[in-house]
Amino acid sequence: MGARVLVVEDDHDIRESLLDVLHSLGCEAVGAPNGRAAMEILHTSTELPTFILLDLMMPVMDGRAFREEQRRSEAFGHVPVVVYSAYREVVDVARDLEAAAWLEKPIDMQKLRQLASALTSVPPEI
Amino acid sequence: MQTTLPQLAAPATDDAIFLLGLDGVIQSWSAGHVASWRPEEVIGCHFSIFHPNGDAEACAEILARAERDGRYAEEGWRRRKDGSPYWASVVITPLRDAAGALRGFAKVTRDLHERRRLEQERVQLVEAKEAIQTRDEFLSIVSHELKTPLTALQLQLQILRERLQGTDPQLAARADRALRSGTRLTDLVESLLDVSRIATGRFELNLESGDLAETVRIVGDRLSEAALRAGCVVAVTAVPVPLSFDKLRMEQAITNLLSNAFKYGAGAPVQLNVRAEATDAVLEVRDHGPGIKTADMERIFARFERGVSSRHYGGLGLGLYVTRQIIEGHGGTVTAENCPPTGARFAVRLPLRRKEELH
Repeated sequence: MGARVLVVEDDHDIRESLLDVLHSLGCEAVGAPNGRAAMEILHTSTELPTFILLDLMMPVMDGRAFREEQRRSEAFGHVPVVVYSAYREVVDVARDLEAAAWLEKPIDMQKLRQLASALTSVPPEI
Repeated sequence: MQTTLPQLAAPATDDAIFLLGLDGVIQSWSAGHVASWRPEEVIGCHFSIFHPNGDAEACAEILARAERDGRYAEEGWRRRKDGSPYWASVVITPLRDAAGALRGFAKVTRDLHERRRLEQERVQLVEAKEAIQTRDEFLSIVSHELKTPLTALQLQLQILRERLQGTDPQLAARADRALRSGTRLTDLVESLLDVSRIATGRFELNLESGDLAETVRIVGDRLSEAALRAGCVVAVTAVPVPLSFDKLRMEQAITNLLSNAFKYGAGAPVQLNVRAEATDAVLEVRDHGPGIKTADMERIFARFERGVSSRHYGGLGLGLYVTRQIIEGHGGTVTAENCPPTGARFAVRLPLRRKEELH
């Protein structure tokens, strides 16, 4: 698929599982355990991700705080974000945060595949 | 003795005032009522008659303290005529003559039993409310925490199933079975979350325009495997019914009704019908199971309830409860009735136009 994905998730097992799934879908994927660590990756990497897969509840810097800071960045504010959570209220948060899409835990692999494919086919804004 | 009475605070009407001699014997009862006793029954008796164990020594100590401190006050158990205890406030004041010599005691007794009972009820109510709130918060936390490992588990199983599909279909089928169990676990957790949402008023609907018949068909397709396993053939008759509703929640309600039909009417056909009737959209699920006992008709919609023993049928007893919340949230109703010769029919009626749209 060729997408580059940044996975922001505090739970080690979920993060590794998401990276596995994304790799199996042919994506390049890197993980960050919280919003702060994800910010550092975005600031230091030479290539921006195609999209960011963002958990909402995390220590240090949660999904909402990350999205608010990321959205303000000139360098990577345009990178689409897919939020996900164990709470169904994720729909409302996704709307608030102007997320490109949302997923509910447990994450369905087919839905993730469709999303990755849809977000990869859209040419990134420059 | 009468010289010092006016210095006592004016008693409330439910205060009983006794005059005691130096020896603690009741000499007069000047006002009020107390705990079913009559004046002639107590005058001339030692005031220990009011104490649960008639403890004369404790009474002597009370009088000694009243004399020493100028006043003795306490709240404690006292005895009614029939021997039953009641909670009372007692104030004993020494009475002195003009020369300051002790002549006796004034004893004011107030029956606080009712006040204490109300206070206890209030405390119990507060405790019960706190317990419910704790339970709902706990449910919410537990559900969320359970979803975290479930997410990792389900993702890994999905990867396994996909890898195995090409190479080992038999193992892939096993991964699929494991995934299905995971999905059931997720649904159970989700019902618990719903209970906590409903209880804490966080149960919200996202209304959008759609076709109820289409939602019914989506659910029917999704449950086709479950129908097969239950040995139920589902006959769907549905005409398009445009409606403003929360699609995910409505899918959930229909899923609950159909799952119930499969559970209780296994091995027999199930009819699913959607139509418009005057001002309502009507959705009916008819099974051919044992039906519902008349006494259980309302109870089955309550939380953690079911029409039958939990030992025979699984589940948390939440499906119909959540279904009713969803339907009522849409301004509709859900009812159950038995259909001779056998089986039950659940009918959902949803107003085609919500009240606020009519104005």
